[in-house]
Amino acid sequence: MRIDVDALKCIGCMACEMACGYHRDDAFALLSSCIVVYRAREKKDYFGVVIKEEESLTIARPEGLEIKRIGVAEEPDPAGQKKEADASAKPMLLREPCDLCNGMKYGPMCVKICPVDAISLVEEGE
Amino acid sequence: MDYLSSNKILIVDLETGQISEDDLDDELVGRKIGGVGITSSLYQTHKDKEPIVLGTGLLTGTMFPASALGVVSAKSPRTGNLAHAPFTLKAGMELKYTGFDYVVILGRSPKPVFLWLHDGVADIQDASDLWGADVWATTDSIRRAMGDDLIQTLAIGPAGESGSDLAQVCINYWASGDCWGFGKLFGEKNLKAVALRGMGLLEISEPEDFVDQCFDVFDKIKGGAFAGRRGIEDILSEMGEKDASEWLAPFIHRHSACYNTPYSTNTFVYLNEDSKTLTEPVEPEPGFLINDPCALLAFKRAGFSAQNACRVLKACSKYGIDPAAVAELCEKSGQKDTEKIEQSFSDLKGPVAIPDGGKFSSWSPAQPLFSDFGVSDRSAYLAWWTRRQAVAYLFGIHPIFVNMSPELSEELMIEMFNKGTGLELSQESLDTVIDDVCS
Amino acid sequence: MCAAKWSKRGFRGDREHSSRTGIARPNNVETNFYHAYASINQKLAQGGKIRYGEDEASVLPRAPRPLRIPRIGLYTGSGTSHSWLWFVELFDRMLFHDIVFLNEDMVKDGALKNLDVFAMSGGDTIRIAEGLDTKGAAELEAFIRKGGLYVASCAGAYLPLKSSKQYLDRFNFVDIKIANLSKTRPEIKRLASKATTAYGCDYVYHAVREDVLLRLTGRSPFTGVSTFLAPLYGGPSMITDNTSEVLAYYAGFTDKTQFLVNESLAQKTLIGRVAAAKTGMGDGNLYLFGPHFEHPHFPMANHLVATAIFWDMKKDRENREISEDEIILEGAAKDKLVRDIKREISNARIVSVGLEAVPIQWSIGCKIYEPEKIRVFLEAIWKRIDNLERLRRIRLQNKADEQLVDCACKVKRILRELKARIDDCLETQDIASDLFDSLRRLTMGFLQIYFNSFRCNI
Ligand code: SF4
Ligand code: SF4
Repeated sequence: MRIDVDALKCIGCMACEMACGYHRDDAFALLSSCIVVYRAREKKDYFGVVIKEEESLTIARPEGLEIKRIGVAEEPDPAGQKKEADASAKPMLLREPCDLCNGMKYGPMCVKICPVDAISLVEEGE
Repeated sequence: MDYLSSNKILIVDLETGQISEDDLDDELVGRKIGGVGITSSLYQTHKDKEPIVLGTGLLTGTMFPASALGVVSAKSPRTGNLAHAPFTLKAGMELKYTGFDYVVILGRSPKPVFLWLHDGVADIQDASDLWGADVWATTDSIRRAMGDDLIQTLAIGPAGESGSDLAQVCINYWASGDCWGFGKLFGEKNLKAVALRGMGLLEISEPEDFVDQCFDVFDKIKGGAFAGRRGIEDILSEMGEKDASEWLAPFIHRHSACYNTPYSTNTFVYLNEDSKTLTEPVEPEPGFLINDPCALLAFKRAGFSAQNACRVLKACSKYGIDPAAVAELCEKSGQKDTEKIEQSFSDLKGPVAIPDGGKFSSWSPAQPLFSDFGVSDRSAYLAWWTRRQAVAYLFGIHPIFVNMSPELSEELMIEMFNKGTGLELSQESLDTVIDDVCS
Repeated sequence: MCAAKWSKRGFRGDREHSSRTGIARPNNVETNFYHAYASINQKLAQGGKIRYGEDEASVLPRAPRPLRIPRIGLYTGSGTSHSWLWFVELFDRMLFHDIVFLNEDMVKDGALKNLDVFAMSGGDTIRIAEGLDTKGAAELEAFIRKGGLYVASCAGAYLPLKSSKQYLDRFNFVDIKIANLSKTRPEIKRLASKATTAYGCDYVYHAVREDVLLRLTGRSPFTGVSTFLAPLYGGPSMITDNTSEVLAYYAGFTDKTQFLVNESLAQKTLIGRVAAAKTGMGDGNLYLFGPHFEHPHFPMANHLVATAIFWDMKKDRENREISEDEIILEGAAKDKLVRDIKREISNARIVSVGLEAVPIQWSIGCKIYEPEKIRVFLEAIWKRIDNLERLRRIRLQNKADEQLVDCACKVKRILRELKARIDDCLETQDIASDLFDSLRRLTMGFLQIYFNSFRCNI
C-alpha cells in the first residue's frame, strides 16, 4: 500500500504535513514530516504535495503525478549512464520515508485528517 | 510555559535597537489564555512606548482545526483605541514556530528596518532599499535576500509609509484582517515589515488525548454544514449574494485554505492567464488571492465587474491599503474606473465606517455562515459574533471559520486548553477573559 | 522541563518507545546503555576512580585495572560521508567528551600521537586512502603499534584490509580478506547499479542494505549478549585467518533488510561471514565493523563500540594536553558567540529546508548529493546549540570563534547564492562542491568547540 494524492482536490492547508510531523515527533513540528505541501510558487497559486517514500519522491502536481527516484542522477553522464547512489549511501535520518504511520492507532494520519479527501491509500502500483 | 509555546516574549525597542526576552509564565497563560488575552495585557504594560504587539492564539499552529490565527494588537489610528487585527494564511502558524509567542515592538527606528524573526533569533535588518517599494516587491526582496520562499511577511506598502489611516499591514502579497490602519503605525515606526520563519517544535501536555480530540472534531466537521461548499464565492453567497459564484467563476483558478483550516476561505483568480491552466504559468504574477470576503462583497454591491473588483483588490494589496475601506469610498464616490481608483490611493481619505464590534476586525463577516448556531434573530448577531471572535482571537482559531463551525464550541476549547497545557481553565475564567478583552 | 524546543529528533534514535517504529529500536533497557556509559564518563571527569566491571562500570567486563577517560580522534577528512556524525551522536549521548576532530592534514602532521583511540566511519575508502596518503598511513600504523586503538566501520573497516589497489596498498595492516569482492558483477536483483561499486579493477558487491542480524562469538570484551542488529551500508563481510579474533558473524536478515542481489546469493555472501573482527598490531588493536555499529538507532551496537573503546584504548598515554593555545569565553563574550552561531546556522538552515523541495542534485566525486544532505550537517550543529548556550564557559582554540562565525557566514552566503542561482536557472554545480566542503569544516569546527567546552564545564 502507498499514499496517493489528488493535487487538484488539495487546498494546501498543511494539515497532512502537521499530522505526519506529529507521527514523527510526538509533538507539533514540521521538519520531520515526509509529506510536504509544495508552496514556493505563492504568487502563481501553483501548489502540490510531495511524499517521500523509501526509494522515491512522489510529487503530486496539479497537472499530474511525477515519481523521482532518490539518489539517481536526472541527467545521464557523457557515456549515457545515469549515475546512481551506490549501496554505501548512508541514510540522512532527517525526513524518514512514509511508513504509513506504522504503529499509530489512527492509521495513516494524513489520510484521516485531509479535509477534502485529497489523500488516499492505494495498492502499490496503482 | 512548557506546552504549546516557545516560552518566549520578545521585546524589541526599535529606537535603541535593544532586544530582550521574557518567559511566558504559566500564571499569565492561566489568567489570560493566549492571543488577544495576552497581547492586550502586554499592550497595557508597554502603553507609553506606542507598542505594536504580535501574538498567536493558544492553539495556533497545532492539529486543532483552523488553528491559523496570528494577531496584531495596537492602538488603531482609525479609532484611537486598542484593537486587534487577525493575520491568517500561513503567517499565524509561522509566527508560532519562530520561537516567539509574543512580540512587543516599541519606539521608532531612526531608519527603515524590517524585523527578521527566525528560530528564536530576532534581527533588526536594514530596509533602506525596501522603503518606497510596494508590498509585493517587499516580500519578493526579503525572500530573495534570505533565500527562502516560505518566509511569511507582514509588510506595508506606500500607504503605510505615507501615514494613511487606511494603510493595511498585508500578509506576503495579500490582504489581511487589518481594518484598523495598523499599516500607518508600522510606517511611523519606520518598520517596513516583519519577516517570519521558524522551525520550532511545540510540546503537548497530554499529546495522545489532544490528538484524539482533534481527530474527533475533524470527523464531525467533515460531515458538517459546509460540506460541499468552498471558496470565497460560497461565503458571499451565504452572505446574500446568490449569484456570486457565477460572477466570479470565469476567473477562479483554485481555492486554498489557511493553515489547517478545513474550509478554503481563499480563492485565487487568474486575471492575465487562462484560469483553467494547471501547469505552472509562465506569467510571474498571473492573478490575485482573494481572502477578504467583505471587501469583495462591497465591490460587487457597488456594481463592479468581477474582473475589475479583483484588479482593484490586487492594487490595494500592492499599495498596502485596506480594500474594504477603498470599496466603501468607491461606493460613496461612484468611482468605478480601476485606473483612476489606483491613482487616487495616495489621496484617499476617510471617513470610512468604524467597524462594529469594538476591537475585532470586520474582516470576518458578522453573521453565522452555513450554520445558524441557534442565533436566528439578526439583532442578536453582533453580540454573538463579538463573543465568537473573542474566542477565536484567544485560542487562535480562524476568525471566519469560527463562524462556520459550531463544532468548535467553547467547551471544546476549554478541554483543548487543559489537555494541551496541563493547566486548568474553567468556563467562569473563560467568561472573565472574554469580558475583559471585549470591554 | 526544558523550554527551548527545536525539532527534537535530528536522529530518530532519541525515540525511546520501540512499538511505533517496528523492530529493535531503542527500548528502555537498551537506552540504559547510554546512561551507563554517561555515568562512567561523568564520574571519571569528576576525578572519580572506577574499575572495570565494578559499580558504575558494571556494563563492562571485569578487569583489575582502573578506567580513565579516552581521548578519541574522529576522522572527518576528505572522502568521508556524513556518517562520522553518527559517532558524534554516540560520543555525545555517552558523554565521551575528549574528542578531537581530524582531517587528513592533521593526521599527517602527527595529531594521532596524543590520542588513545582513532575512529573512522563510512565514505569512499579509496578517496580516504588517497587523502591520508603514505604519510597518513605511516602515522596510523605507528599510532596502532604504539598501543593505539583503531575503531572503524564500513569504509573505515575496508581501509586496513589487505589490498593491492593504488592508495589502499599503503594500509595493508591486517590479514583479512573481503568476502564480497568479485571479478565480475553478480546477478542483480534490484536497485541496478546500487549493488556494486568498482573497487580498483574488481567489484565490491553489496548483497543487502539496512538492518542485519549479527551473532556475537562471546569473545572478550563482547560478552553478555548473543544476537543484535546493526545496519549495513556497503560495509565488508570478511574472511579472517588466525591472526584476527572474530567478534561477530552475520547471522540473518530482518524484515527491514533490503536485498540488492537475490536472496540465496545474499545468504551465501553474508551469512556465517565475519561482521566484526579484532586484530592486534604491535601494542595496539584494530576493531573492524562491517555494519555501522555507531548508527544512532542501534543502542546494542553502540554499546559494543563503547566497550571496545574502554577495553582496548591505549593503556599509557602520557601527553594529556593537545595545545596551550586555548582560551575560555564566559559571560557576554560567550553569549555573543553562541548567538552569532545560532543566527547564522538558523539562516542557513532556513535556506536548506526550502531547498529540500527543489528537484535538484549535484554530482560530486563519484556520489550524488541531494539538498537534504545540507541539513544533515546543519542539524548536527543546531541540535547542540542550546546545550552550548547553557554552559557557563566555552573553551576553544584562540581565534576559533572568529573562524567559526566566518565559516557559518560563508555557508549561509553560499546557500543564498545557490538558491538565487536556482531561481534564475543558472548552474550550481561549482558552488555545491564548495558548499559541502565548507559545511564539513563548519560542523567539525563547531563540534570541536562543543566537546572541548563540555570538558571544561564538568
Ligand atoms: S501515512 Fe503517515 S507517515 Fe505516511 S505520509 Fe501520511 S502521515 Fe506521513
Ligand atoms: S491535508 Fe489534504 S488538502 Fe490539506 S494540504 Fe494535505 S492534501 Fe492538501
